Amino acid sequence: MPVAHEDTIAALATPSGESAIALIRVSGSESARLMAEIFGGPPLPRSSRHGDYRDREGRLVDDVLFTFFAQPASYTGEDTVEIGCHGNPYIAQRVLEDLFARGCRPAEPGEFTKRAFLNGRMDLSQAEAVMDLIHARSERALEAANRQLRGALGRQIAGAIARLVDVVAEVEAYIDFPEEDLPTANRIRLLAAVTALRQEAGRLLATAHYGALLRDGVRTVIVGEPNAGKSSLLNRLLGWERALVSPEPGTTRDFLEEPRVLGPHKIRFIDTAGLNPTPAPLERRGIERTLERAAEADLFLLVLDASLPCPILPPELAGRLHAANTVVVWNKTDLAAPGDLPDAWRGFSRVAVSALQGQGIEELERAISLMVDKEQLVLDGDLIAINARHATDLTEAGECLAAAEAKLRAGAADELMASDLRGALDALGRIGGRVDHEQILDKLFSAFCIGK
Amino acid sequence: MAYVFQDKTFDVIVCGAGHAGCEAALAAARMGASTLLLSGNIDTVAQMSCNPAIGGQAKGHIVREIDALGGEMAINTDATAIQFRLLNESKGPAVQSPRAQCDKKAYQFRMKHTLELQPNLQLFQATVTELVYEGTRVVGCRTNLDIDFRGRTVVITTGTFLRGLLHIGMNKNEGGRLGDYSARTLSASLLAAGIELRRLKTGTPPRISGRSIDFARMEEQKGDEHPTLFAFHDTHDPQALFHVEQVGQQRLGWVPGTDQVSCWMTHTTEQSAAIVRRNLHTSAMYSGQIEGVGPRYCPSIEDKFVRFADKPRHLLFLEPEGRHTDEYYINGLSTSMPFAVQLELVRSIPGLERAELLRPAYAVEYDFAPPTQLWPSLESRKVEGLFMAGQINGTSGYEEAAGQGVVAGINAVQKTRGGSPMVLGRHEAYIGVLIDDLVTKGTNEPYRMFTSRAEHRLLLNHGSAEMRLLPQIRKLNLLTPDRRQRIERKAERVGHWLTKLETTRHQGLMWGDHVRREADAPPVSLPAEFLAESPQVQAEVLYRIRYRGYLEREARVIERLSGLERVRIPLDLNYREVRGLRLECALKLAELRPATLGQASRISGVNPADISVLMVLIESGRAGDRPADPGTGT
Repeated sequence: MPVAHEDTIAALATPSGESAIALIRVSGSESARLMAEIFGGPPLPRSSRHGDYRDREGRLVDDVLFTFFAQPASYTGEDTVEIGCHGNPYIAQRVLEDLFARGCRPAEPGEFTKRAFLNGRMDLSQAEAVMDLIHARSERALEAANRQLRGALGRQIAGAIARLVDVVAEVEAYIDFPEEDLPTANRIRLLAAVTALRQEAGRLLATAHYGALLRDGVRTVIVGEPNAGKSSLLNRLLGWERALVSPEPGTTRDFLEEPRVLGPHKIRFIDTAGLNPTPAPLERRGIERTLERAAEADLFLLVLDASLPCPILPPELAGRLHAANTVVVWNKTDLAAPGDLPDAWRGFSRVAVSALQGQGIEELERAISLMVDKEQLVLDGDLIAINARHATDLTEAGECLAAAEAKLRAGAADELMASDLRGALDALGRIGGRVDHEQILDKLFSAFCIGK
Repeated sequence: MAYVFQDKTFDVIVCGAGHAGCEAALAAARMGASTLLLSGNIDTVAQMSCNPAIGGQAKGHIVREIDALGGEMAINTDATAIQFRLLNESKGPAVQSPRAQCDKKAYQFRMKHTLELQPNLQLFQATVTELVYEGTRVVGCRTNLDIDFRGRTVVITTGTFLRGLLHIGMNKNEGGRLGDYSARTLSASLLAAGIELRRLKTGTPPRISGRSIDFARMEEQKGDEHPTLFAFHDTHDPQALFHVEQVGQQRLGWVPGTDQVSCWMTHTTEQSAAIVRRNLHTSAMYSGQIEGVGPRYCPSIEDKFVRFADKPRHLLFLEPEGRHTDEYYINGLSTSMPFAVQLELVRSIPGLERAELLRPAYAVEYDFAPPTQLWPSLESRKVEGLFMAGQINGTSGYEEAAGQGVVAGINAVQKTRGGSPMVLGRHEAYIGVLIDDLVTKGTNEPYRMFTSRAEHRLLLNHGSAEMRLLPQIRKLNLLTPDRRQRIERKAERVGHWLTKLETTRHQGLMWGDHVRREADAPPVSLPAEFLAESPQVQAEVLYRIRYRGYLEREARVIERLSGLERVRIPLDLNYREVRGLRLECALKLAELRPATLGQASRISGVNPADISVLMVLIESGRAGDRPADPGTGT
């Protein structure tokens, strides 16, 4: 019996971490629709096609290879798409987040295998192995989740659920006991509570990015004019000669990437070709690649030659630089003292270094760490960094709460607002434990004197 | 063996003629089954032992569902009500609910007359003393008259009569209701079959004489000018509505909702609170006389003053008990204090300073059978052929009882015919939510329906009850062909206009968009042909258009969950031996024995990983290839 009407699920099918390619598998009835939405249509079953993966906002994520398997001839027995992207955890994560935003659900541990089994794609004799697998894997997943839920995140979510139950109970009391002598509806108080809850969901959600940074590393792109000393800086930061350096401008034609652990963080330094305002044809290709890398950067090191006037950056790059993601590095301070920064860069943190001699490098490392740390959320003294599954649920909770807020403001029908609030409660419940309607009634009866 | 009644084997015997019993008997007889309805006193069939009202939040929805399934409660209420009010009128249609004050006696008389006239149904007065079993099957019952009755199935609807014990302060009397007897021996018969029983408690306020009330000191609450009726009169045969006061062969037409009477609002005072506090030790409940658990949503006045001590006053409603009586019910003043205290308490209330009590308030304790011992069909898991409905299942309320009665009656007939039972989904009906909650979770207090118990509340608006239940109506042939066709025609018109209004442009927008924007845009007048449709069709179409986004969201959730609802769990599954199930979960499942994975997933303490384990086990076929069990429905 094919298990119909299941949701469409998505997950990384290859081990996470860096590799040549990463494979993302999508399975379920929506697969073909998603293909049409993202790539303009599926290829012939069991053949691959090359295409751009653009997210819902139209931003290019990666060029990928995708393969469509029509049901029942697929691993799971359902319509399935396999998306091969570059083996960069950050890219894979962005593809997955986009798929979740388009309506996929993160797959449970072992869920592809389970579906394969239920749809008769696996031998019956494998049933026991599947069960063991599902059990073992969900236990491990549960263990991992529980560790987090026992900590700060669990306390935050439990607190939010408790406050939301209070709000829901009050709204439900007005709906279910319309003739009762209840205190006058205090929409303003309820609105404040819902707003606070929505903001809290938002703050927790903001740590999703930090969670990804922790796991996958901070993409730190080194940019600047030719011969500003970017490659020398990379070598100095890494402590070994990763990049070829020469006094000739434009030695780096392509980009180079090398990770390094800095305090608690993994930093992925990316050296790029210099931004020559009047490039030769070969250089021009290098600059294009620099701009591509810049589009994916978490952090920028803008390297300036202290002995030269400040350069004019291409607008595609200048628009991406702001005080929260850029450290201005005055290099060659062994040759000249740094000058003034243009108005646009006022307020940027800046460090004077000599990549050649090593001065100022420690200060630069501290500036990088400080900037990364600003992404994190510290609550109750514990660090919170949520994963993609929690992010999906928190996004939904936030959307539902925002809808409830709008209805509270507009004075719209209570039962519709209650529907939104219940949606938020369900979403938070998926992280912190399901809330039964009995709990709402318990709250209602203990807080309000109702009934005849 | 004693005399066997008419030496006949009935298809269905219903023991008890309260709201559950009457509906069970009518439902069975209307399906063509030979049916017997036994009551200890046929003068008190369909008695409203507590307040003289039908409907209200969620309850009103249930009454409309009963009407859709061919039951009598809705039409009986319309024909005998003396005041109609639509509750939550300021909110959306999904949570609006009709409510009516009834003439208690008229309600009973009309119901009795209906039972008497119903083909295939016999009414008989006798008190059931025990059930007769053959092995694990029920085959009939014995009565206090030494007359035995044989039946293929038995539906028991004992209300508060099962070892009923009445409390007024320290005073105790056996009885299911003041002035009535108690079913003393039937409990032993249920226990002997292995059915567990526990105690619940409920209460009722004093009744007072109208001539002793000073209405000038109270606020009047009138009925609605345009009453919202319970029955779907647009699809009923007009002949069905007759007024009970018209005697003789001719059933005269009557317009329900005319000549309505008023209720009156007053409140407790500081003096009332002081009286209650001073005498708390004499209350049956607060002095430890009562072991049963009472309902939290219907607190006694003792509870209100103790638990909400900072609330200065509590609202009270005076409700007339009928057109031909001067008796009034004091809604909100349920108590188990001694009579002398009750009198003092009543007279501390504005307008009741000189009140004369006709009957005291009292609490009643009674046996119920925890409903987790039932299949979703309402058949006992322990005794084949035995069905239960109403307060014996731990519920409270006339409407909740009647809803279960309809289901038990239909399913008893299905049992005799070897057909699959009617199991309503949580997204189909409040009755579905009610029974699913009862059989999967049980209850620790008298269970009352609330709209907040229905996670798909927006789909369960009262106006759509007939259309929601149309598949069941067709499958079980529940209504006359005429009425079914009228419902089908209505559903067809609703479908037609939904499509038309969502796909036809008017002034640059779809009609549907105009409707959704009407809150913040000048109103457009809808097409004349639409306005020519019946008000019921128009209301339903507009509801579905206005709430479209929400209804679609609900439908998607249901679609996602429906997979689990379809997977049945074998009856004889040994949960303790399922590898990978946590012990806590296995014990819970073994106790509750859910019929489907959907039910299992709603049991607290069962998590998604457990459901995965069960799913794989079931789909692998190793859990046994048993035929469908009687409880799984679908």
